Amino acid sequence: MTNTTEVQAEKVLKPENQKRNRRESLERIRQVWPWIFFIVLVTGFSIASKKMNDVNFISYRSVQGILEYATQIVLIALAQTFIIISAGIDLSLGWTLGFSSVIAAEIMQSLHAANFSPVATISLGMLGGILVAIAPGFVNGVLVARVKVPSFIATLGMGILVEGCALLISGGYPVAKQPPYLGALGNGYLVRYWPGHGFFFFKMPQAATVADLPKIIPILPNIVLVAIIVTFVCWFILAKTQFGQHLYAIGGNFEAAVRAGIPTSRTLIKVYILASVLAGIAGVIWAARFTSGAYNGGEYTPMMAIAAVVIGGASMFGGEGKITGTIIGSLIIATIQYGLVVLGVSPFYQYVAVGIVLILAVIVDQFGRSLGK
Amino acid sequence: MEPLLQAINLTKSFGGLVAVDNVSMDIFPGEVVGLVGDNGAGKSTFIKMVSGVYQPNDGEIVIEGKPVSFSGPREARDMGIETIYQDLALAENLDAPSNIFLGREMKRAYIGGVIHTLDRNKMRDEATKVLARLDIRLPSLSQQIRNLSGGQRQSVAIARTIYWNAKMVIMDEPTAALGVSEQRKVLRLVRTLAEQGVPVVIISHNMQDVFAVSDRIVVMRRGMKVGELKAAKTTPDEVVSLMVGAEAVHEMGVLPKALNGVEE
Repeated sequence: MTNTTEVQAEKVLKPENQKRNRRESLERIRQVWPWIFFIVLVTGFSIASKKMNDVNFISYRSVQGILEYATQIVLIALAQTFIIISAGIDLSLGWTLGFSSVIAAEIMQSLHAANFSPVATISLGMLGGILVAIAPGFVNGVLVARVKVPSFIATLGMGILVEGCALLISGGYPVAKQPPYLGALGNGYLVRYWPGHGFFFFKMPQAATVADLPKIIPILPNIVLVAIIVTFVCWFILAKTQFGQHLYAIGGNFEAAVRAGIPTSRTLIKVYILASVLAGIAGVIWAARFTSGAYNGGEYTPMMAIAAVVIGGASMFGGEGKITGTIIGSLIIATIQYGLVVLGVSPFYQYVAVGIVLILAVIVDQFGRSLGK
Repeated sequence: MEPLLQAINLTKSFGGLVAVDNVSMDIFPGEVVGLVGDNGAGKSTFIKMVSGVYQPNDGEIVIEGKPVSFSGPREARDMGIETIYQDLALAENLDAPSNIFLGREMKRAYIGGVIHTLDRNKMRDEATKVLARLDIRLPSLSQQIRNLSGGQRQSVAIARTIYWNAKMVIMDEPTAALGVSEQRKVLRLVRTLAEQGVPVVIISHNMQDVFAVSDRIVVMRRGMKVGELKAAKTTPDEVVSLMVGAEAVHEMGVLPKALNGVEE
């Protein structure tokens, strides 16, 4: 009697276990597939560039190049990761980027004209550009958290508004006449190694002549260094702090978060400010790279950034997403962009390619989910 | 024994409709009370007054001998009255320890309190302890809640209330969405709670469940308490006849055993 019951119980249990195992392995596939795809992508470009142009795709230069390409997408994608985890979307980030670049450039232009030292000019300009981004973020957060405007609408309106402000301030022209060293900062490297002469931090070695330049090995672009630091801080906030935990809860089940006593409004306002400030950092980096400020500096970045976040495994319904996923998603997009340039293919193909990858990512994700049920 | 909670002559009306009419109930430590009644009998309204969601128009709530009045569910919870609704209020994208500590996360301070990080190890240890205390087994503590079964989710919701020192737990239809073996596990868990001194009030439509788990059964009909019976001394038929009213039972041809059925 007991035996039969046990056998029956086992029969009942087994499919449940199998289902769980299958679900776990699907979960794992969902998490690793962007990495697999990235490897396939790099391999594909390597073979193609060897055959078509007899160039090695994987090289010291190309790795740094891809990372430089990725920086702007990474910063906006990190911002969007936080917002998407909270079950929202921020469509104003690209315009906040442009706005910040304009404000930073305006400040630097005036201070430079008033004969401030380059160090003071650049640091005040960058600080101003980043701080000004708090305003649109705060208003976004209040609209979403307290006025209960859907984030799509609130940030769409805010984006248009911020674009208008940047246009009004700059008159629609690039804000030029920037202080010296700004371009060197935005396009420079942390370290340069000159064989036989040693390491040089930030600056080109003064003794170097034009003939020496090809011998000097640049190591780590400044903007990539900033992106790495910001990425680490974002990872820390999301994975290690109570704020990050609350974001996941808010995005996963808003009602449960409210009932658990999580300060949902305050958390949401903070996250929109955080995202905007990240866009502000991207804006001042833009200003340093191009030694000017432009209202449309981030025009094409936000859509690529959302694609990066989704390719990295975040759910648009909220509650899911990781910094590592966002980074790999951004790298995939940057590799496509850079790779097409290396192959000498029209760069416009990047949009076609990214679009296909994005749709593919969502299909893989949904397929995994439906099998897991 | 002193009752943990006394509800004395609670009355609640919405406009002209009296949803709960002069209902009194005592809840003693260590017992399971089944609260039954047809739809609209006033069970939910009564429970919502006890858990602070509604404020009674008349009557009094006394906890451990002290009269209290709740202006909201938070206050009731602070007094140890925890309510688990059907939706469980769990974040399905997080794991069990995260849900047990949701909104009250344990933290570690670094650099003299400038930076705080989540103390996941400690939360995991504490979660393991409270789950063991309630004899709850989960396949894995790091699984997202959405990958757990309905009964396991229910267990996590219960463990959360216990960890935060619930003095009394109210459960709304805890077995409604569960399979048979899962129902049994949840009911066993309800008994475990009671044995550890935490009384449970369970609202249910399922007579079998109510009889399987309750010490006492309170029957409500049309906003009034029409019966309070010891589970061991009554039958499902009797309870049903009280729920729907004796006349209705007559019409259905069931013998009304307890026309004036209020015992004790």
